[in-house]
Amino acid sequence: MSEPKDPRKVFGDAVVEAAEKNPDIVVLSADSSSGSGLGNFLKRFPERHFEFGIMEQGITGYASGLATTGKIPVFAAIAPFVTARNYEMFRNDLGYMNQNVKIVGRCCGLTYDQLGSTHHSIDDVAIIRTIPGVTIINPGDPVTITKAVHAMIDHVGPCYMKIGSPKMPVLYPEDVAFRLGKGIVMQDGKDVVLIGTGTVLSKAVAATKLLEQRGISVRLIDMHTLKPLDRELILSAAREIGKIVTVEEHFIAGGLGSAVSEICSQEHPVKMKMIGIGDFYASNGPYEELLGLYGLQAEQISDTIINFLNNK
Amino acid sequence: MNRNELLQLESKALKIRRNILRLMKAGKAGHVGGALSSTEILTALYFKLLNIDPANPKWKERDRFVLSAGHKCLVLYAALAERGFYDESVLDTYGALNSHIPGHPNMHKLPGVETNTGALGHGLSIAGGMALGLRMDGLKAKVCVVMGDGELAEGSNWEAASAASMHKLDNMLVFVDRNKLQISGPTIDVMNYEPLDERWRSFGWSVRTIDGHDFEAIINNARDIPFEKGKPSVLIADTVKSKGLSFAEGKVNYHYWKTTPEEMEQAEHDLDAIENKLKEKMERGSSHE
Repeated sequence: MSEPKDPRKVFGDAVVEAAEKNPDIVVLSADSSSGSGLGNFLKRFPERHFEFGIMEQGITGYASGLATTGKIPVFAAIAPFVTARNYEMFRNDLGYMNQNVKIVGRCCGLTYDQLGSTHHSIDDVAIIRTIPGVTIINPGDPVTITKAVHAMIDHVGPCYMKIGSPKMPVLYPEDVAFRLGKGIVMQDGKDVVLIGTGTVLSKAVAATKLLEQRGISVRLIDMHTLKPLDRELILSAAREIGKIVTVEEHFIAGGLGSAVSEICSQEHPVKMKMIGIGDFYASNGPYEELLGLYGLQAEQISDTIINFLNNK
Repeated sequence: MNRNELLQLESKALKIRRNILRLMKAGKAGHVGGALSSTEILTALYFKLLNIDPANPKWKERDRFVLSAGHKCLVLYAALAERGFYDESVLDTYGALNSHIPGHPNMHKLPGVETNTGALGHGLSIAGGMALGLRMDGLKAKVCVVMGDGELAEGSNWEAASAASMHKLDNMLVFVDRNKLQISGPTIDVMNYEPLDERWRSFGWSVRTIDGHDFEAIINNARDIPFEKGKPSVLIADTVKSKGLSFAEGKVNYHYWKTTPEEMEQAEHDLDAIENKLKEKMERGSSHE
């Protein structure tokens, strides 16, 4: 596998690549394009790039209006400001109006580490998931970020995509099959199901290796699409293995774990453990140390799973 | 505009007011005040100003209309029915389960409705996006918006207004239905945004103030956009809330009218009186010929 890559650059390059083929793609910026890897888009397609300054609510409405004329607006900015700040515009102007707009929250999760809770986005999945018809994509490596961008553009309808900020390890070969709404079984196993997503998928991969060293066989699933959730993949894992652990850089309330449990608890109840952030404002500091504070490092995930399997 | 055209428009406005009463009879309650204050504006839009085709409501080159103050939807439903977008019988379903005409408009439920509005402070930015997209496509179509004066307290409007002037969206025309009342009282007492003309001008718009019940003023100014090349245009339209209903005109508690049989009867008498006056005018006109 190649060196870790900057997710924002990977994202921006993919948008430029898609825009070369699709003239309807336009980019809207809340003083945010350069920080979202879209500086090259502005250079390549200045007539399709619109700067608005820092007005995420207004831009969400403009995006909706542009979409009514057949454009495919891509609006990327710091994650809380394109989800929480403009929530009502997202819900009414994009969701309720079912507009073909692509919102991208970058520096998601805790990746704006030392900037603190105003800039963390650990509630975005919880709030956007309540909007009917919105597809939520949370790719976990550079290869799937690129694929997710193309899939998102091809999909007609409102989308929310998350990307982080620190360089991400490459977890997949270039030819990995990627379909919206279909999780990827990264490896099969029989003792426990581990479902990871987004920025901490690599931690789940590393935790899986540690567990294998300790004799525990893990079915590892990359749930890159959080909505619509891959119900069949979850239910087959529940039926075949019966123990599910979820890992996410997000509140436990309303995120991946909640979404998985909404399916399992009603259709095939199984024992579950949700690894994420509790009901408090996350602290500030270096990113990897923050992950460690909330049990999201590989060794911690591995230990949590062993305790879970031991009914501790 | 000649006298005959003017009388025809007045007749259309009366029919639209009658349609609004029909909606109110069906639903028993609704935001009638702002619907009646903006009746002349929507009448002018749907019968003189908007380049639209009821048989082809998604025609790419059409003008767009955004009712940012979505609670004024009674007048939109009434006007669209009169313009032939759907059968008038739809109006009798107001307030019913699964009606195609909810208390705030839904574009997926009714042809001719361009946006889902209701939450205030959304329409102007959506309209701006439409104007930008139409310009990118090289189309001459314009985007018209009706906003309430109370609505202007939503800060998102001023984001949208700044962006429209920054991007030189001179294919936009906003009507501010300045009926001067909102739920809690006079708009200037609730949250004073006066002087409105100076506010809009300082946000880079070209501004004119008109009598919002005067068809000639509405039409002549709307046909004159952009008022200044490169700038979006706004018409601040002075209006009377609940215009046409004698017992409700200019009264704050008819922002949302819960009908009584007595008031409904009075409302019908009031519209009959308008009709009689209009007939007299028409007869006078024909006797001159």
